[in-house]
Amino acid sequence: MIQLFRLSKKFGPNIALSDMSLRVRKGEFVFVTGPSGAGKTTLLRLIFGAEKPASGYILINGINLNRISRSKLDLLRRKIGFIFQDFKLLPKKTVFENVALALEVTGERRTFVKKKTHQTLSLVGLAEKEKAYPLQLSGGEQQRVAIARAIVKDPLILLADEPTGNLDPDLTKDIMVLFRSIHIKGTTVVVATHSRELLEDTAQRVVFLNRGRIAGEK
Amino acid sequence: MTLRLWPYFFRQTLINIINNRTVHAIGLGTMIASLLIFGTFLILFVNLNAWLQGWEHSLSMSVYLQDEISESKRGKIASFIKDQPAAEIERFISKEEALRDLRSALGSQTGLLEGLSDNPLPASFEVVFRAEDSEIDLQRIKKEIENIEGVEEVQYTEDWLERFEGLMKIVRLVGFIIGGLLCIGVLFIVTNTIKLTIYSRRDEIEILKLVGATDWFVKIPFLLEGMVQGILSGILALLTLFSGYILLSTKKMHFLSLAVLDLVFLPHEYVLSILLISVALGLVGSLIAVGRFFDV
Repeated sequence: MIQLFRLSKKFGPNIALSDMSLRVRKGEFVFVTGPSGAGKTTLLRLIFGAEKPASGYILINGINLNRISRSKLDLLRRKIGFIFQDFKLLPKKTVFENVALALEVTGERRTFVKKKTHQTLSLVGLAEKEKAYPLQLSGGEQQRVAIARAIVKDPLILLADEPTGNLDPDLTKDIMVLFRSIHIKGTTVVVATHSRELLEDTAQRVVFLNRGRIAGEK
Repeated sequence: MTLRLWPYFFRQTLINIINNRTVHAIGLGTMIASLLIFGTFLILFVNLNAWLQGWEHSLSMSVYLQDEISESKRGKIASFIKDQPAAEIERFISKEEALRDLRSALGSQTGLLEGLSDNPLPASFEVVFRAEDSEIDLQRIKKEIENIEGVEEVQYTEDWLERFEGLMKIVRLVGFIIGGLLCIGVLFIVTNTIKLTIYSRRDEIEILKLVGATDWFVKIPFLLEGMVQGILSGILALLTLFSGYILLSTKKMHFLSLAVLDLVFLPHEYVLSILLISVALGLVGSLIAVGRFFDV
């Protein structure tokens, strides 16, 4: 599903990723971990096509991101859900509108958009808060809105950048339960985190990054 | 781009306009002012042109007589004129009548004539040519009449027409320059208005791109916004011009204190052109604005 070959990325003089190769199979659940600055966010952004590598190449479902046109990248992004560390919710739109946005861009029928958005918000436990605005919600609730927006389009791949970074242990557990339920449906999930608690009891694959290189796997 | 997306685009356009109403109101006001200047100039041009054309269709000639001309010489001139093809003496204006006509035309400014010790105006024959065809050689007739004894000068409409056509050429040129400059100005206004609304929505644009929106999906509401601004300013400018026209046309307009000028409004094709130009300027302005900012 995701193949990275000898990937490198620099930001000015700083090396974010160096000669990295990684393969994530379809339906796999992978944690990517490491200290701050290890290259976790850069890795996810490269997979998402938000950054271009300095060298190496990325295959997503067999499509080479180095050669993809802008319009095809737009279409590919509809198959990838991304949960941002800072949520990236629109404060002037309601919870419902924030989530529906991901379906509206695909040109789906309005009735379908409404139905699917309701279902997804129910799944993340926010059915009662549809009409609220993001700033009226707690951090955990905002995180769940961001998750709902990422999964509402039934993505093939779900990328999550520090999804539990600002949450307490109980909410972290809830979010992980949610990810597992999405994974069970067949979605490939890649979660970037530096949280040790999240990784302690996991049976999933864990990739350790350090200074832009793979330092180990579990 | 599926038809299903258009309700979203229209909704988004409306929301953008409402959310950025101050910027839009300022942009709209400036655009209306520019179109008003352009429209006023067009009205002026259309009216001068109509006046000129009306004049062209009524060929006339003024035969000015020397002072103290004898009755028989005047009769000779009159019969020569009547012998010309399609010519008809509409009126003989004596020196006294000429002065009286001038006094009534000057109206309240008649005091200008008070210093005159004697009447400087010549007597004249007002001649009209009733023929529809323009084959009448007024130049030849003018020369022949001028050669008759007792004739001081002959003037016919073409003399004036030539002068006015020269003036109209200048008016047209000035119109093109003003129109061109105003178009550039309007384009600048639309571009900046849309840039400001894009700036106010930059977070949303980034998120739209991150969830897989195509460039056109993001751009279309902004293009519609520019077009709405264009069409609204066009309609409002035309309505203002028409109100001004109604107000002015109820009064008799005196042109150069002498002739009564009947105002005409812009013909349909001009009205349509102004609307199309406004929409086109709105569209082009917003196209320039959305040109490059989608590198997400």
